[in-house]
Amino acid sequence: MSDTTMAPGALPADGVPRRRRRWNASLLVGMVMTGAFLAIALLSLVWTPADPNQVAPRDRLLPAGSAGHLLGTDALGRDVASALMAGAWTSIVVAAGAALIALVLGTISGLAATSNRQYVNETVMRGADILLSMPGVVFALVLAATIGAGVGATIFALSVFFTPSFTRVVRAAALRVLEEDFVTAAALYGRRRLFILARHVVPNIFSVMIVQFTLYFAVGILTEAGLSYLGVGVTRPEVSWGILLKEAQETVGVASPLAIWPGLAIVFAVLGLNILGDGLRDVLDPRLRRRKS
Amino acid sequence: MLVFLARRFAFFVLALVVSSVLIFSLIRIAGGNVAAVMLGKGASPQAIDELMAELGLDRPLPVQYFDWVAGMLRGDLGTSFRTGEPVTDLLVDRLPVSVPLALAGLALALLVAVPVGTYAATKAGTPTGAFVATLSQVGIAIPVFWAGVLLSLFFGVKLGWLPTGGWTPWTVSVTGAIRSLVLPMVALGMVMAATLTRYTRTAVLDVMNEDYVRTARASGMTKRAALFRVGVRNASLPLVTVVGLLAAELIGGTVIIEEVFSLPGLARMILSAVSAREVIVVQSTVMVIVAFVLVVNLVVDILYGVLDPRVRVTR
Repeated sequence: MSDTTMAPGALPADGVPRRRRRWNASLLVGMVMTGAFLAIALLSLVWTPADPNQVAPRDRLLPAGSAGHLLGTDALGRDVASALMAGAWTSIVVAAGAALIALVLGTISGLAATSNRQYVNETVMRGADILLSMPGVVFALVLAATIGAGVGATIFALSVFFTPSFTRVVRAAALRVLEEDFVTAAALYGRRRLFILARHVVPNIFSVMIVQFTLYFAVGILTEAGLSYLGVGVTRPEVSWGILLKEAQETVGVASPLAIWPGLAIVFAVLGLNILGDGLRDVLDPRLRRRKS
Repeated sequence: MLVFLARRFAFFVLALVVSSVLIFSLIRIAGGNVAAVMLGKGASPQAIDELMAELGLDRPLPVQYFDWVAGMLRGDLGTSFRTGEPVTDLLVDRLPVSVPLALAGLALALLVAVPVGTYAATKAGTPTGAFVATLSQVGIAIPVFWAGVLLSLFFGVKLGWLPTGGWTPWTVSVTGAIRSLVLPMVALGMVMAATLTRYTRTAVLDVMNEDYVRTARASGMTKRAALFRVGVRNASLPLVTVVGLLAAELIGGTVIIEEVFSLPGLARMILSAVSAREVIVVQSTVMVIVAFVLVVNLVVDILYGVLDPRVRVTR
């Protein structure tokens, strides 16, 4: 190889590193958008321009750009920018929380469904099928209304309906890994099944799990906002983008910028996560063909 | 084929049973004391007991469950505690709002997504293809209720073409009813179309890379002929599945969009029944919805079996 004369760390002649691509445009854009979303949410924990629940009757419906109120105030004089920031944190707690629970439950059940015992497979997979065919929003609605609305109930409702998708994806990925020669080798070596699953399967399907988590994080944000909009998700004093939109529509009608901001925030967060998910899929697992552009 | 049908039908029945048990236990166990809620605070324990007995809620839960299921099998969905109206009648009042809305939304989504997704697949790798893909990516991120708000803002408030909400019954004015449904239908359809476009694009792309399409091309068919004669039937398989899965999402979207446009559909009915602790109404309505989704999935799977003989063997 003539490359041996090159300085260490320099790029090959064509300028492309001879290893797996580590970056792509989707990953970059997705990380920037998601990073901004996470940063704003974290910032809201320590600082917001005002208390998002602070009612100020004299400052009702101030326009955007008013002194001290960057995006104006709502019908009760509450600061809109602060509410949006607090809503970002609520989105993360509920959506990421639900996606995380679904990831854990889905991994356990998905791995269980690769068992050699047919009845275990059938029970888990048919159970997942049944859950998948139920309208999640309707169930979450009933659930929230019976056990009471709130952050905990919303996380619970969402995680129940996210889990079967994780089960399916994890099982499909795990089955592919289980066919590999190194798994056969480990089995011949006398490794127990649980060891093989933990040591060989999980690390190899980790990228699939991460991508799935990212995408359901996004779905969670949409669903949480929808449930809160219906009044059966998160409730005041917790602030949710869904609540903000509902309040805007009820108090001032749709022709108000108050109805625009929460929607934009949702689109920004969800879009960022979806793009990030696509980028991650390309980088982490080149074998998976990407489903987008 | 018969074995496949029998297995699939057995699963359908199993799913119905499991979901009915799930709905029943969820509502009955988590729902709290119905009579106490109905009578309000300060009701004597005796009055609560009497009301429970009157409503038949003091019987053992399994008895109540089988009574409920037996009633549904006879077509009796129970009666409302408050008004004494049969649930069937309540549903019949609401369905003319919800069913046309959901079906028109789905139809619109398919009408947009299938051609656009196919087009995007044939243009993959070009700026046009990337543009369509980006557009659908953005569409997926738009919550259906915000789409509704934006549409009513533009077409309702700015242009004043269509009502921003409310409902004109079909019996009063057919055009009025249609006018009340247009914006919700478009909001629902466009948001679902975004997801569906992406699936269509993937399905068609997958098919275009298959050997049989290459063979068809090699045997002299144009790209278009190969795609439509050989590809479409194969690409329709994953799409049929997606439509089945979307049935659940469609209902969720319908519920939310009804709330946005204050339509007196199923969503309103469930929401108010839930807050009034009308357990029978909630139970039966949710069961009807779940049964509908299960039927759609049954039909979808059977279609799948008809379209693709391989499915019959493997399942």
